[in-house]
Amino acid sequence: MTPGQALPVAAGIGLRAPHVGYVKAQRPPVAWFEVHSENYFAEGGPAIASLERIRADYPLSLHGVGLSLGSTDPLSRAHLAKLASLIARVEPALVSEHLSWSGVGGRHFNDLFPLPCTDEAVAHVCSRVAEVQDILGRVIAVENVSSYVGFADSDIAEWEFVAAVVARTGCKLLLDVNNVYVNAVNHGFDAETYLAAMPGDAVAEIHLAGFDARGPCLIDTHGARVAPEVWALYRSAIERFGARPTLIEWDVDIPEFSVLETEALAATTILESRDAIAA
Amino acid sequence: MPSLREVQIRFSAAVLATDGTAPAFARGDAATAAERMAIYRRTIRSNYRNALGATYPVLKRLLGMRLFNAAVDAYVEAEPSRSGDLNVYGDAFDDFLARYAPAAEWPWLPDVARLEWAIDEASRAQDSTAEPDVVLGALTVLPADKLPGLTLKLDPSCRLIASAFPLLRIWQVNQPDHGGETNVDWSAGRDHLRVRRERPGAAIDGVAIERLPAGDFAFLSALVGSALGEAIERAQDADAQFDLSTALHGFIGDGTIAGIGDTM
Repeated sequence: MTPGQALPVAAGIGLRAPHVGYVKAQRPPVAWFEVHSENYFAEGGPAIASLERIRADYPLSLHGVGLSLGSTDPLSRAHLAKLASLIARVEPALVSEHLSWSGVGGRHFNDLFPLPCTDEAVAHVCSRVAEVQDILGRVIAVENVSSYVGFADSDIAEWEFVAAVVARTGCKLLLDVNNVYVNAVNHGFDAETYLAAMPGDAVAEIHLAGFDARGPCLIDTHGARVAPEVWALYRSAIERFGARPTLIEWDVDIPEFSVLETEALAATTILESRDAIAA
Repeated sequence: MPSLREVQIRFSAAVLATDGTAPAFARGDAATAAERMAIYRRTIRSNYRNALGATYPVLKRLLGMRLFNAAVDAYVEAEPSRSGDLNVYGDAFDDFLARYAPAAEWPWLPDVARLEWAIDEASRAQDSTAEPDVVLGALTVLPADKLPGLTLKLDPSCRLIASAFPLLRIWQVNQPDHGGETNVDWSAGRDHLRVRRERPGAAIDGVAIERLPAGDFAFLSALVGSALGEAIERAQDADAQFDLSTALHGFIGDGTIAGIGDTM
């Protein structure tokens, strides 16, 4: 195990329960894995034991989905304590959470809700990111989320919101290129404008996933292959920022592992073509 | 401009609302906003159905997809999640089912829920570090007059479930890999079950469910919260043939009793 190192600048795969047994037994040639932190909050048992086995062979990124970073409820100390204990156990290369909230007034919806893009929300999220970084004693990465509804009160653009949080807290950015594309379509802005506003040096990881275009707007399902438009936007992001650790995410209707490997290979091709340009 | 907190309270209310009214906080035209809020509502509903379906596969099979989903939706309304960890949601599903009118004709369903929740808890409980020789050794050197007041610790993954129904059989015939007869003998009487994760290194890295004799079950159940003297009394009340020495050796030997606590 190699603690403290950054993620390899290569394509990784989001590891979900149906593939854990396969990865543990076959050790496929994947550059790194990412898991949802909450799925390994157990104190003991086979799940966390499997993750420790896998971590012995691969760099790991911990991706939180339940901290409710942007909620106006107090941060859950119990949740952070479980996260801290998982971090100590598996020594991840990166710890990330979402620029979103999941509930208010004690209730949790266990989903990722968007924040209004206002100065108040920027200030609130910045204080929360700082609090989390303080408690964990490390820099975290925050991820831009997809959304279906915009807020009438938003008075800055989403890209300004994201850039402000990164600039003020010194946190890293987990740039989800699929979410940028989904929001560009859903809210009618130019995805390139968004990318141009991102602080390139802070991009520690990129996410790629598939959406569902059959609804009233694009729905960020993580249940399909990466769309051609998102591959194009990814290529543009890599040209802007340079090659970055890139993750393939798939969370519903999870396919055979080989499908994820194929998607990762497509990302690798783009990463390496950038390397060729740079050389 | 409403505060961020006020916006979050309104957004939450709009996620729950099903009347199709457009939320006032949303940008753009009302019909589109209402339609898009419904995406959150559907996603959340489907997330909870999937999460509880994974925790309660036998209940899902017994109730059928439609009734199970309706029960989950009603449960989420009655007992909303209060944690960002969806894996620990669903602990009150047993009590909920006991008062859920559409399931009233199947009174064993709450016990099935209890068993499936126990399996889920056992699978993620702290690992036991008990070494039977050490526990036995510590017990042997204690003076006899200290024994009745002694507390014993159970394996953190151990759960004990009593049912007025043949619960283990119901669970077994509803496993996806169950072959052969599926009939349940409803006259088989009470079940006393121990649910426990197999010890690390054992052949199966999973959770084992075993039927216990009434005396053994009363003994282990009493050890959760009571001292040894009290546990012996309750075991003998449940079964006059209860033999302490056999029970202690058996349960220490297999790791169910995993340590010695304080003297009460």
